Amino acid sequence: MLIDIHLLAWLCWIFPLLGAAMAILLIRIGRPIRDYAVVFFTFLGFLMALLMLPEIVRAESFNSPAFWISLPGGGSISIGMLIDPLSIILANIVAFLSLAIMIYSVKYVEHEPGQDRYWFFMSIFITSMLLLVLADNLILMFIGWKMVGICSYALIGHYYSDEEEHWLGGPDPFPFRTPSRAGLKALLVTTFGDVSLLGGIVFLYTYSGTLSFLELYQTADVWLAALATDPGALTLLSVLLLGGPIAKSAQFPLHEWLPEAMAGPTPVSALIHAATMVKAGVYFIARLIPVFFYATWIANYPEAFTFFAVTAAVGAITAFLTGTQAMVAVELKKVLAYSTMSQIGYMILGLGLAGFTSHSMTLGLTAGIFHLISHGIFKAALFLCAGVIIHTTGSIYMSEMDLSRRSMRYTWIFMWVATMSLMGIPPLSGFWSKEEILSLSFETGQFILFALALVTVAFTAFYSVRFMGKVFHKNDEENQEDKEASPIMLVPYGILAVLSVAVGAIGPWFGEQIEHIFEAYFVDFLGFEVHSGTAGSIAPAAQSTVPLTLLLPLLSLVMIVIGALPAYRFYVSHASSSEALVEGSGILQRIQMFLRKRWYINSSINRVFVDGTIRYRHLVQKYIEDPLDCLFNEGIPRLFSGLSKGLRRLQTGLLSINIQYILLFILLALISIVFLVVP
Amino acid sequence: MEIPFVLLQTILVPAVAAPLVALMGKRIGKYVGWIASAILIYTTSLLLIAGSTIWTTALPISETYTWSAVSFTLEFGFIADNLSLPVALIMNLICTAASIYSIHYMKHRIDELYGEENKSMHGLYHALYLLFPIGLVGVALSSNLIAMYLFIELVLIPSYFLLDFFGYRERHRVATMYFIWNQVAAGLFLIGAILASTATGGSFSINALSTISGQPIAFWVCLLILVGWLIKMAAFGLHVWLPYAHGEHLAHIAAIIATIAGLGSYVIVRLLAVPLAADFQVFGLPIMVLGLITMVYGGLLTLAQDDVKRLYACSTISQTAYSLVGIGSLTAMGLAGGVFYFVSHILGKSILLCIAGVLMMQTGSRDMNKMGGLAKKMPFTAALAILGSMILSAIPPLSGLQAEWVMFVGIFQGGTLQGALQFAIPVIAIFATFLTAAYTFWPVKRIFFGPLSSELEDVKEAPKSMTLPLFILALVSLLFGIYPDVVMHFLSAFF
Repeated sequence: MLIDIHLLAWLCWIFPLLGAAMAILLIRIGRPIRDYAVVFFTFLGFLMALLMLPEIVRAESFNSPAFWISLPGGGSISIGMLIDPLSIILANIVAFLSLAIMIYSVKYVEHEPGQDRYWFFMSIFITSMLLLVLADNLILMFIGWKMVGICSYALIGHYYSDEEEHWLGGPDPFPFRTPSRAGLKALLVTTFGDVSLLGGIVFLYTYSGTLSFLELYQTADVWLAALATDPGALTLLSVLLLGGPIAKSAQFPLHEWLPEAMAGPTPVSALIHAATMVKAGVYFIARLIPVFFYATWIANYPEAFTFFAVTAAVGAITAFLTGTQAMVAVELKKVLAYSTMSQIGYMILGLGLAGFTSHSMTLGLTAGIFHLISHGIFKAALFLCAGVIIHTTGSIYMSEMDLSRRSMRYTWIFMWVATMSLMGIPPLSGFWSKEEILSLSFETGQFILFALALVTVAFTAFYSVRFMGKVFHKNDEENQEDKEASPIMLVPYGILAVLSVAVGAIGPWFGEQIEHIFEAYFVDFLGFEVHSGTAGSIAPAAQSTVPLTLLLPLLSLVMIVIGALPAYRFYVSHASSSEALVEGSGILQRIQMFLRKRWYINSSINRVFVDGTIRYRHLVQKYIEDPLDCLFNEGIPRLFSGLSKGLRRLQTGLLSINIQYILLFILLALISIVFLVVP
Repeated sequence: MEIPFVLLQTILVPAVAAPLVALMGKRIGKYVGWIASAILIYTTSLLLIAGSTIWTTALPISETYTWSAVSFTLEFGFIADNLSLPVALIMNLICTAASIYSIHYMKHRIDELYGEENKSMHGLYHALYLLFPIGLVGVALSSNLIAMYLFIELVLIPSYFLLDFFGYRERHRVATMYFIWNQVAAGLFLIGAILASTATGGSFSINALSTISGQPIAFWVCLLILVGWLIKMAAFGLHVWLPYAHGEHLAHIAAIIATIAGLGSYVIVRLLAVPLAADFQVFGLPIMVLGLITMVYGGLLTLAQDDVKRLYACSTISQTAYSLVGIGSLTAMGLAGGVFYFVSHILGKSILLCIAGVLMMQTGSRDMNKMGGLAKKMPFTAALAILGSMILSAIPPLSGLQAEWVMFVGIFQGGTLQGALQFAIPVIAIFATFLTAAYTFWPVKRIFFGPLSSELEDVKEAPKSMTLPLFILALVSLLFGIYPDVVMHFLSAFF
């Protein structure tokens, strides 16, 4: 090894941090130099990640933590970088996509306001994201986790002055939303999840006494046993811990922040709200899976299964729910946002399935992480294409995009490749990774989840063809003016599209390799044994693999056709009109409205939390604070002034009354002397 | 480095300087603020040196002086140990930053109230202001209950007069209200202290407090001192003075008042939770419940505010209660975290309250409904407001998160050890922290983002002398956030 691997891991996130410093320091020197310096530091970060990649085959973990904080009672917490297959994969994905998107940004933000802010927060974001995936303990990971959140807030609200051209949503009767509101919403919704996650981390620590992932793995038997003695503790832990990933990865029911997050500049949407940050939840769940798998299947604490049940259900529901919304969305970036949520739902579903049988841990991990990789690549490409398209056409609505394949030839090709990968057309990468999740859900016997996932395949195909048709195939022959993007923007998403094909070409082998590495790492190296003996309970289909390997892909291909064919007729060949179809049917109209209103989830949440807060926030002041204020700050003074007024009446100044007082006093004095002193 | 009488100097130098500052102010006007600030920078560096000594030697610094030897011996002294030093240092730092901030701010306020020619008011203000660091640092460092009481009362003098002279709406009435509330609180503390001394055999020394542990009187000592400080900490039901005092005080004095509120967590730990641990046990659960109620109530109350100064005032109620919940857990982590949270919160709160002052000064309004889009005009102020909000909302890399997780480990430990019912408290408490993010970042949007209204077209950025000190506070918070051992090294050694 040329450089110590521990050092590589530290440098991997420190370089982008230096990039952030450059974004501020080099302002005076000149814009191009500054921009390239920032990109260069991102590149160095990527290089460090790349140099760690060879270590992945050793399927071991490297970790040498350094002292960080001392705690009462002689304890202390050390922090360091954890280099293991999972973190290496994630670090490479993050660093690579960051680099591609940063290169693209050089051109994209050329004429945008607030470039210093943009480069600074993008760099800090990359730093934090790499810190998140490389951190060797929960609290350091949480620091990265919160920092990506605040960067996301800053970048969504990039156009904080809320000029009308940066509004989102609409057209009438749908409400318009401003970027600053979108940023706040993203921050608050994810903070709600973060609070839950922090609760989970702290709760876990009170039992385990350690925050380090490796120590948590190694001492799992001890602290899980302690947890399992308290009824409900494992369930509570699962729910608290999952709250964070559910919010961060925009999963039901905390998913409504992501569509609005599209208010930021498009590279931000590509990097943060599609390719990396929203995957943090997937990564974190993957990190936890060995522990909960151990608890469920080896230590036999049935309560720990909650973790997997919630994960899988949330994933499947989100995949379905947001898939339906993507089919009717009118803004290009919103379609992609719904699609992102839906695809992350697949990943979460895959990870959740890891714990459904005693032998599916590595399968589930592989399925989730493989889909994370392929989705990261093609979704980043799609967003970068969308950025160019929105920039060129000057509209966020697909109906106003008047492009043709000839006006943007390369973009058209690359975008179609990425779209087909999203649809899951073989042999592109999306096909293989999605197939793993589908087959896992079938094999574990979770037919409801399987059905949801399968239907979503059709939805995916429909909305994919729909947005491509609406953007590029509206009036094929008319618009031939060359509007192609500049090479510096074209090359990043070109590479991503090519990569999507390349990964697809070696798809089965690729997936198998990941599985081997995870098997070697989690099972052989860390010792999370898989008990094949107890596997009989579920997995009826495990034996009949031969027909299954053919049947399932075939089934999903049928679903793709079912979804894609109508979309093709409506939006590409224009053989029939979707508007006419919807016009003609009351039910379809109602369904369309229901979906476009986002199942009324967003408006309900808005009504309760946002409108509710605004409307009723004064009640606390009015009915508790003001009465209390009145009681103390007016009541007590009034009491005293009343008393003094009463007493003042005794001061009459009349001699006869004063003599009566004196007599009364003498009398009382005598009585008290007689009763108290004499005996 | 050995400096003679380092703790006494920290107290005496500003005290000696105060009358001189008042006199010099008559001649040089607002520039006297720089002299006052220089004195505070000096005392801050004294405390820093004391801190480095304690860090390396791990031994407390104590100084004892005889006060009265006539009828009975009364000694007063200062002790800087692992608990008191970080608290004293952070408070002195905040006083220093606020002092620099106030030079320009007071110029504006005095011009407004007393006319531009009035120079002596500057001297008066800065002289009175110097009493704050004396009192605050004195409370933290004093080794004797009577001395502590005197320092508590000493803080009350400038806060009363400054509110009466320079405050905002209804300042005379609010000053009286503030004075009475705090006088009652201090009185309860004094009764508790005297009660304690009857049981210790006439000694007011804090070290002697542990000797009364186990006696029935210890309960009453705990109760009186606790209630006294709960008033100052604005616990629910006893908080009604605080929104007024914060709201109508000068912006940076409001930060000092918030420091006094937070100081309660130090005093409770110093006097009750540690020396009288066994007797204080019964108060654990009630404090946690009261803290939780205050946390939620303070949060809801903050959401209800439209007035930018009252907003951050109400948030103090909620934030101080975090420390209360931590202390109520009575675990080492909870106590250490409670004090750490106070240290962290006060950095953020000082920034935010001072920002409220900047906004009032630059826009001439305190109504958030009339603001919006100011980030364009005041980028530094906006950045500072976001940094302050990040500290309160526990967003790293600033210190809030570090303090919060240490504290919540203690709260969860306290809950887990005591059974199922108490377990609800930590879970509710951690979800209650969500309110903080809502009530800090929503106002940021209301004040700084969105379109700029035409009336605010002429608003200018605040001068550097106001923003830079706040920026330094944010940097300190960043240091604590990146390497929290700077604080926890001390606190861990104490508990």
